[in-house]
Amino acid sequence: MNEEKAIKKYIPMTETMFFILLSLQQEHHGYGIMQHVKQITENRIILGAGTIYNSLSRLEKDGLIKTLSEDDRRKNYITTELGKKILKVEANRIIKLYENVKSLLEEPI
Amino acid sequence: MKTKKIVFFPAFKRVVPSDFENWLENMAANGWHIERVRQWSSIIMIFIKGEPKKCRFVYDVHPIVAKDYISTYEQFGWENLGRMASVNIWRMEYKDDRPEAFTDKDSIASRNNRTIAAVSVSFSIFLLGVLAMSIALIFFPDKVSANDRMQLIIGTVFFAVLAILLGFVMLYIYKGSKK
Repeated sequence: MNEEKAIKKYIPMTETMFFILLSLQQEHHGYGIMQHVKQITENRIILGAGTIYNSLSRLEKDGLIKTLSEDDRRKNYITTELGKKILKVEANRIIKLYENVKSLLEEPI
Repeated sequence: MKTKKIVFFPAFKRVVPSDFENWLENMAANGWHIERVRQWSSIIMIFIKGEPKKCRFVYDVHPIVAKDYISTYEQFGWENLGRMASVNIWRMEYKDDRPEAFTDKDSIASRNNRTIAAVSVSFSIFLLGVLAMSIALIFFPDKVSANDRMQLIIGTVFFAVLAILLGFVMLYIYKGSKK
């Protein structure tokens, strides 16, 4: 998938995709992703097995992640250059959202 | 006391995946357990009486799975009960929080869409059957003997009823696709 198509498909990104891509800046298998996301979101997001399996299949098919190593039953994934680019596009979108809403947060309650 | 319960057409009576999962969960809560799910389980399921248990079941459709499919679920603590057609049934016993395999709206919707796609394959086969037999009856009546004609009419009606039924099944799953 080229960058333009990937932006159209993935931006704005669901939290699930965002945290899976963020997690896969390092090598992880499915269960490892869940543990990492749980830790960095302080238990706010606990991804389920079906959600992770489906998301990884879709991201790999679209070329945003790749298999780094595998044995008989387990696959370890990492983001591709395309995956990193798309995550940065989303990060910039979130920063812009934050700037738009910042003044609201600065108002005294 | 009865120790076995046989249920016919369980998956046909509960076509929305979450309804099927909840039904299995209720059965387990009443002490009725399935040991394995096999290819014919959508037609007949045998439950064995045991202790009531709190179990979460998951219905997941995948015609083809990657090699890490089973191990991903197992690492999360799910037990694979087996496969009927392209549906994998998973089970997990729990105490407090009910475990979920699909934790966002997108993946629930995509699971249900895959279920509709699986039903649509059978739907298309029956529809093609109806078309083929209708063409024979309408355009080539001279080449079909009276005996064959009657068989073709019966076949067409039978396939048409099944196609309509599956059409309703797809519509019903679609309406319940956020569950």
